Amino acid sequence: MAAIEMVNLTKHYKQGKNVIKALDGVNLKIDTGEFVAVVGRSGSGKTTMLDLLGLLLRPTAGTVIIDGVDTSKLKDGDRATMRGESIGFIFQEFNLLPTLNALENVMLPLRYTKKDPQGEARAKRLLTEVDLADRLTHKPAELSGGQSQRVAIARSLVNNPALVLGDEPTGEVDNETSDQLLDLMRRMNREHGVTFVIVTHDMDIAQRADRIIRLKDGKVASDEPIGAREGAELAG
Amino acid sequence: MFEIIRNLTRRKLRNGLTVSGIVIGVLALTTLGAIAEKANYSIDGGVRYFRDHVSVGAAQNGGFGGGLLTVDKAKDIQAVDGVQAACAATGVSAKTDLDFSLSFGPGDQVTAEQPGCQQYSTFKLTYAKGHAIDETGTGQVVLGSDIAKEFKVNTGDTIALPRPPKKYNPDYVGHDFTVVGILDKTLTAPDNFAIVSFKDGQTLFGDALPAALRGRVDPTTLATGINVYAKAGVDLDKLAQKINDTVPGVSAIAPSTLVNAFKSASVFLTAITTGAALLALVVGGLSVVNTMLMAVTERVREIGLKKAVGAHTYHVLREFLTEATILGVVGGLVGLGLGWGLALGINAYFASQNQNELFLVTSRLVTFALAFSIGLGMIAGVVPAVRASRLDPVTALRYQ
Repeated sequence: MAAIEMVNLTKHYKQGKNVIKALDGVNLKIDTGEFVAVVGRSGSGKTTMLDLLGLLLRPTAGTVIIDGVDTSKLKDGDRATMRGESIGFIFQEFNLLPTLNALENVMLPLRYTKKDPQGEARAKRLLTEVDLADRLTHKPAELSGGQSQRVAIARSLVNNPALVLGDEPTGEVDNETSDQLLDLMRRMNREHGVTFVIVTHDMDIAQRADRIIRLKDGKVASDEPIGAREGAELAG
Repeated sequence: MFEIIRNLTRRKLRNGLTVSGIVIGVLALTTLGAIAEKANYSIDGGVRYFRDHVSVGAAQNGGFGGGLLTVDKAKDIQAVDGVQAACAATGVSAKTDLDFSLSFGPGDQVTAEQPGCQQYSTFKLTYAKGHAIDETGTGQVVLGSDIAKEFKVNTGDTIALPRPPKKYNPDYVGHDFTVVGILDKTLTAPDNFAIVSFKDGQTLFGDALPAALRGRVDPTTLATGINVYAKAGVDLDKLAQKINDTVPGVSAIAPSTLVNAFKSASVFLTAITTGAALLALVVGGLSVVNTMLMAVTERVREIGLKKAVGAHTYHVLREFLTEATILGVVGGLVGLGLGWGLALGINAYFASQNQNELFLVTSRLVTFALAFSIGLGMIAGVVPAVRASRLDPVTALRYQ
């Protein structure tokens, strides 16, 4: 079953008299539990696609259907609720709140959704799963880059989302940490059955996905399961 | 809530300065307000005190002794239609030294009224200690609460009236009185009264006459004023006019004239308080707006993140409004505490110098100051909070 469906998904920006076609009529389906990498050069529309999937942007045309809900018909408040309940985010720069400790950062999305008595226990369990059980009360300033991103991964899963979106989630860490983070995300993807869509420039990272979608000039240039192409070709 | 407090403590200096702005405003509001409250209470008391009778004095341009009033005028006034009682009264300063103290209250007075007249006044005096004087006797005094405190005397003590001068004065004549009662605080004129019998009042008035007159007039025929109490349903202003029209050599002052004079003073003092409130509004309000706008700018990415993970517009709005309100509450509490402390300290100093208290911190002033500071924080926080809540999450998340 498709967890996410992009139907003629389009986002155009006006820049003076010119129209920038950031995303131009994209049609894609992503199944539940898939781990998808979106690749492409700068300006190809990767981040715009992620913002549209995350309901952070409204499309110029078309729609995103998440778990059967046509999101184009949702009001701003409902989109915020859906972000809180169904979508997790992992950002390149971690985006942890400096005044909150690791556990509080993981629990942040719980503030904006229905009260969940199991929320704190789940946040602790997730921090244990990302190997940070001994860092619950540490502030972001006391954590390494890799640890911070692991907190962010735990945060993205705390509301049992249908979809986790990663925007260059390993872009701020070294190669070794990057590998560890990817292992972690794949494990979470398998164990929690959550759909992951990550945007990356790193072909090594992309190749560890189930499927690679390559964008070019706002359109889908290729959409292949991993192994169908060589990474070198994808980079082109 | 913890996060909000942590956010506030993250920028200690900036938020400290902002709170200082509110503190200054609320301090000004509290202290000036307390002065105005004290004065307004005195004024209200004055209104209550003077509203129940017509005050009659000697006509300025005629009459016996160049403005002296004789007791028999009371009988003439008694005959005027509508008068229930016309009571001759005396009032002389309780101090022989000039009093340069800062005070909004009436000066300390030794007052006396003809026996049996208190029953006509609607302004009833009650006793904290002791009892009333023997109105037909001599040598007894009842003191108002402030004057008793000022002269540091208690019931049973003996006190010389008027108070002896600090420097030797050959003209000074004092009389000893036994304090038989101390009045409850009225927050108005009687707090500064030493009430003696009419006979004693006349004696003191005789002593206070200019040297040229002393010995040439019989003090037992004199009064400094006549308090006229009206029959039920009689308009006091019209009665004053009638007295002026029918009794020569006296000047009756319509109560409304005195009351209006008090009320215009009250309006002036209220204007001072309002001015202090406006000062607080400008100083405190602008600093809160500035601080909160800076906080929004600094935390754009945080706001973007919160919106991304499900925060609604109202969540962000509420968070920033709460933060601004806390600045207002903290500033208000500190300002109020300092203002209150200052008022108590200065009052204590004045009391130690035998002066009247200058400040009166009332529950309505406390409520107003706190409500004002909380409202100030909230209102000043609206613009920054709305700005924060309307941030586009995509722009906010990538803000550098």
